[in-house]
Amino acid sequence: MRSRSNAFLWVGSIMVSLLILIAVLGPTIAPYPLDFQEKVRNEVVNGKNVIIKPPLPPSGIHLLGTDKWGYDMLTKLLYGARYTVFVTMAIALLRVIFGTVIGLYLGMQDQEAKWWVSIENAWSYIPIFIPVYFLLVGINVNSDLSTSALVAIFIGIVTILGIPSVVSSIRQKTMQIKDMQYVLAASSLGAGRNQIIFRHVLPHLKEQVTLVFVMEIISTMTLMGLLGMFDQFVGGTEMTFDPILYHSITNEWAGLLGNYRSFIYSSYPWIYMVPLIAFVFAITSFTLLAKGLRDRYQGTYHRTPFI
Amino acid sequence: MLTYIKQFVGMFLLVIFVCGAPLMLYTHKEEVVFEPERVVSRVVYLIEKFTEGSLGTYYLGVNEREIAEDILPFTLSSFELLFCSIMISVIISILLGLFMHRNRLSRIVQRVLDIISMVPDFILILFSIVLAIGFYKLTNIRLITLSPTSDAANNWFPTAVLALGPTIFLVKVVVLKYAEIAGEDYIKTALAKGLKLRHVQLHHVYKNIKPFLLADLKKAIAITVANLFIVEYSLNVVGLTRFIFTKGGGYQFNSSVMGLMGIILLSIFVYVLVRLFLYLFERTLVYR
Repeated sequence: MRSRSNAFLWVGSIMVSLLILIAVLGPTIAPYPLDFQEKVRNEVVNGKNVIIKPPLPPSGIHLLGTDKWGYDMLTKLLYGARYTVFVTMAIALLRVIFGTVIGLYLGMQDQEAKWWVSIENAWSYIPIFIPVYFLLVGINVNSDLSTSALVAIFIGIVTILGIPSVVSSIRQKTMQIKDMQYVLAASSLGAGRNQIIFRHVLPHLKEQVTLVFVMEIISTMTLMGLLGMFDQFVGGTEMTFDPILYHSITNEWAGLLGNYRSFIYSSYPWIYMVPLIAFVFAITSFTLLAKGLRDRYQGTYHRTPFI
Repeated sequence: MLTYIKQFVGMFLLVIFVCGAPLMLYTHKEEVVFEPERVVSRVVYLIEKFTEGSLGTYYLGVNEREIAEDILPFTLSSFELLFCSIMISVIISILLGLFMHRNRLSRIVQRVLDIISMVPDFILILFSIVLAIGFYKLTNIRLITLSPTSDAANNWFPTAVLALGPTIFLVKVVVLKYAEIAGEDYIKTALAKGLKLRHVQLHHVYKNIKPFLLADLKKAIAITVANLFIVEYSLNVVGLTRFIFTKGGGYQFNSSVMGLMGIILLSIFVYVLVRLFLYLFERTLVYR
């Protein structure tokens, strides 16, 4: 049991490190500048005049090919990686910090806060991408705001809407720990609420919080992917009219996936396969990490079933 | 009764707030503007239309159409999709997770679902389209038809794709709870008394899994609703989400409110129906 769980953890950690490395180094190792565009041109191949026009398939010159407009796919991915990785991490981190603090204090109360429980209940049944979509749609498309402002707004909205789910899991765990003997002992020795929270409850939540952090990264990435399907990209959507086309400004991976989704029906499979594989790689690495962590933490409480 | 009315009003206000967000929140010359009062006039207009006995109109492409005319067929097709896929996932999860828990086939399916679950549902939906197209190229057998008016349009493919998400989720829940409950002492006692495996599964394990199944059923429906948007959008099924995301069209407040309200009411209805199914299942099998 132990050895297998470690495999998940190892593979997941290596993939995540690779992802972070790509995100940090991406723009410096990109083969082309971001605005490099292959134009239609004539070339003589084996004595014949051949018209070369984008999209170019993957080859030595363009490792992952180009899109319909002649932009290099690898370059786009490398430039977009930092948004995919760091925006999700920032959102997850903020959610975990606020969620843990609120969850701890709500969980330590003697009586369950009824109003909060009803918010939690209602919130867990609403697919979160719907409110996020509606909040973004007025701001995000062909916006006058700068990319960084749009990213900040995105982080703000998604963080706030995601906090209740984090609070829920932390609060429930806190309520379990609160009834433990050692908490009773501590409070009978005169420990105050903060003392109990930081000395006795928080250390037990360490594993849970780590796991929640990784899980929140996964759910944020999924959310970004869903929004991409409906043309809301992180950092702004550029909409061109006649024909109506949507482009991701930041080249963030989930955005690229949404951007190129219509090429599923075309005969240029690499245009949608490249961002699809990249996005699946990103999300799988965090999923494996979460699985590895969970297996590791749960091994302690494992009981063998009788049937 | 009063609480139901209260909940309904609360829901309506929430829907108005969510749907009104694009009207309230927009950018103007590098500034984010928040104007909640812009929604009020729209809401007044909406309620006026209600009292006139119509639901207003919306644009589908360039055609202006009556919402009241379209809402019934749209709701029916969404209901069919939603209900069928939830039922499939509930039945599969009970069968695989509970009654065939130790079966080898069931084990393999559980493994496969476990691996699939690493990829988010909407990627699976996208992927299923790629696979279906590949399948068509190989065998000339048509699995998907993107024209909703075509004769070859089928319902089973979108239903199957939609069922994938909740199935993965519910099977996981049932399998996990089974493993937890099967380690309890009362299972040991039941086995020591010589009760048959089927009996223990039905009367001890199922009854204890049921509360968790019901609690997670709501979540499963939420997952399915989120996927419903993607399925209807990318497989071109005409359903309630068409009111919210009109392809190529602008944002429309009236139809969005109607669409979102419809989806919420529909998911509550589906939840009630599934509970009814589980009740009948208990009455016929468990408490004969």
